[in-house]
Amino acid sequence: MARTGKQTWIIGLGEARSAPKRDDLAINELAWEAISPALEDAGVALSQITGAATASQDFWDGRTISSMNVNELVGGTTGSEAKVAADGAQALAYAAARIADDDQHLNLVLAHAKESQGDPHAIEIAAFDPFFERQLDPDETVLAGLQAQQLYATGEFTPQHAAEVLAACRSRSEVLEHITAEQVLASPLSASPLHELDRAPFIDAAAALVVCSDSMRQALKAGGVRVAATSSRTSAYWSQRESLHEAPLAGQAAQEALALAGWSIDDVDYMELNTPYSTQQLIVAKALGLGGGEELVRRLRSDAAINPSGGWLAGAAGGVAGLRSVVRMTRLLRQRPSRALIYSTTGLCLQSHHIVLLESSAEEVSR
Amino acid sequence: MKSLDAVRTAVVAVGQTEHGRRLDASMAELAREAIDRALDSKGLTLEDIDAVVAGNMEMFEGIYLVDQLFVGALGALGKPLYKLNTGGTVGASTALACYHLVASGRHERVLGVGFQKQSDGSTQAAITTVGDPVWERAVMAGAIGNFASMASTYIAESGVTPEQAAKVAVLARRNACLNPYAHLRMPDITVEEVLESEMLAYPIHRLDMCPSSDGAAAIVMASEDVAGEIADQPAWVHAVATVHDQQYMGDSPKRLAVMRSLRGAAAKAYSIAGIDYPLRQLDVAEVYEPASYALLAMCENLGFCAMGDGGRLIDDGVITMEGQLPVNPSGGVLATNPVGATAMIRVVEAASQVMGLAGEHQIPDVKLALATGYGGNAWTDIIILGRQRPRR
Repeated sequence: MARTGKQTWIIGLGEARSAPKRDDLAINELAWEAISPALEDAGVALSQITGAATASQDFWDGRTISSMNVNELVGGTTGSEAKVAADGAQALAYAAARIADDDQHLNLVLAHAKESQGDPHAIEIAAFDPFFERQLDPDETVLAGLQAQQLYATGEFTPQHAAEVLAACRSRSEVLEHITAEQVLASPLSASPLHELDRAPFIDAAAALVVCSDSMRQALKAGGVRVAATSSRTSAYWSQRESLHEAPLAGQAAQEALALAGWSIDDVDYMELNTPYSTQQLIVAKALGLGGGEELVRRLRSDAAINPSGGWLAGAAGGVAGLRSVVRMTRLLRQRPSRALIYSTTGLCLQSHHIVLLESSAEEVSR
Repeated sequence: MKSLDAVRTAVVAVGQTEHGRRLDASMAELAREAIDRALDSKGLTLEDIDAVVAGNMEMFEGIYLVDQLFVGALGALGKPLYKLNTGGTVGASTALACYHLVASGRHERVLGVGFQKQSDGSTQAAITTVGDPVWERAVMAGAIGNFASMASTYIAESGVTPEQAAKVAVLARRNACLNPYAHLRMPDITVEEVLESEMLAYPIHRLDMCPSSDGAAAIVMASEDVAGEIADQPAWVHAVATVHDQQYMGDSPKRLAVMRSLRGAAAKAYSIAGIDYPLRQLDVAEVYEPASYALLAMCENLGFCAMGDGGRLIDDGVITMEGQLPVNPSGGVLATNPVGATAMIRVVEAASQVMGLAGEHQIPDVKLALATGYGGNAWTDIIILGRQRPRR
């Protein structure tokens, strides 16, 4: 087991107003809408920030080195920015590593995506093998449909279950209209057996954190929520997986993070599962050991501690969803001493799994 | 500031492909070729690797989420996989990420790989998208336009001549003749030939510019607990630094003459590594120089000479293989440029020099080596590697 380094604390939170189309601003303005409140929340100026870890995708930004859109907004000018092309949860993990080895002490973590600017099908097809698969005109939904077929073929879950879970997530959304399971099932088929409403809508979004080392937190006299652990695992490319309806590596990632933190899954008070399709909620929840069958569906539908903000299905964006959940969960953890687990994913059919564990103490909450 | 908490970290294995127009291999195969060479060199297998960091500019070949498609080839199945795409620096950014993941105590052995198959795509078209779509794309197309603009200001500031720049181009291609992995090996190239080569964009002649290559390079970084078990002579990380300049060219018009990011990164790295006189204390440097003029400007900004004296470095032979501070004995970017791997090649070459693995272009008795990456908005990465384990 690797040694654990210095601790990382979240002392500032920011989130842009998410919407399916923010055509009132440019990508960097969208990012600033998240960065600015994060700085204010932390009580620090941009000039104090020594560096950043950002998450974005060149294809969605239509720009190679997509972080150049936001580099100077995160303190990159004469400072140090590092970009990952994955969910923002991984950017947080990278920032935590740089804090743990003393390279950085006060950092911004940012994830941004303006999905309304891209052509989803044109972008998603570029993720498929150029020689053997693109000629079939696939995209992420086509593959998620195949995954859903496999899931339902097990007999454990039905389209009704997935629709109910999705409706529960949407009932917590501040961005998207609330819908019922019946509406999900009545929406047109997108890739059988998936319906259009089984997929999270494309969203323009940005989320930001100010994170720091313990010594910096004390110097700033800041409160904070501790990043207890991060972990990730990568599955095989979709066509090389034995089955798409299971995600054992999601469970492995969670187990590793829990072991690093010294927790069990029962120690977690809040949990947010970020998946772009309703069916994937069932797959991930099962992989994380939350149960199975009707009982799992009931839990996902009615347990207020699971997906308290609705996760990706309630209105986030690819690459932003995980960090948005970190923002939302940190707000919750500031209210009372508690622990949270955040799951997010990158790639086709749940290929990469990212886990973040957060913890707040009574001492920090009382500040 | 030297950290007391960081786990001391070393490059313990390196590997690279033969670079050039590699029609015999796919991009995934290139990546795996470099990985296998790194692992095999020290008897490692993928079982020994805790996490993988991949560097590639995916818009060049038009593959979105390329790390996910190639996850098997990258050896990342079931492991944490970090994907970076930071432009020209990406190979160095990948190496720095490997460092942080080990130095933080998070992992013990991390594999980093940079790869690109430019013959599969249109690099210049993709690089054009690096500029602001409204203000820059129309006038700063591709790397050549960028460096032509920067070289013009550098000439105006420093008085460097086209002949001096051409000498850099000659030195690179001749050094590359000693490097079996290099793309452009031109033993008979002359200054006149460079100056007579096609003018791409004033003052950049075709032979002043780096090639477009296919290739990959890989490293394994390991913690001090295991580094000695893997390599008899690890290349210990003494310092890393990343610094950026402003996004818009117009905000820093003398970008090549006054390279704020390179100066800032060098100042930080030298401070951590205890380097006061880089020309005397460094034994070799692998500098990311996409154009001949850039190398001279970079040497100035790295403190190898006074500002404006870059031309003298090449005239006096200071940076040749036999000079006081050999720069790019591998041939550098002017000889080999698979963008996603290019800065990783700098790290691989610097590590090879420290580990005594550089073959015919080995510089004798290398104790301290510097590697840089450069790209995007004058984005600079620096890593300093040494033979001795860094002191606390």
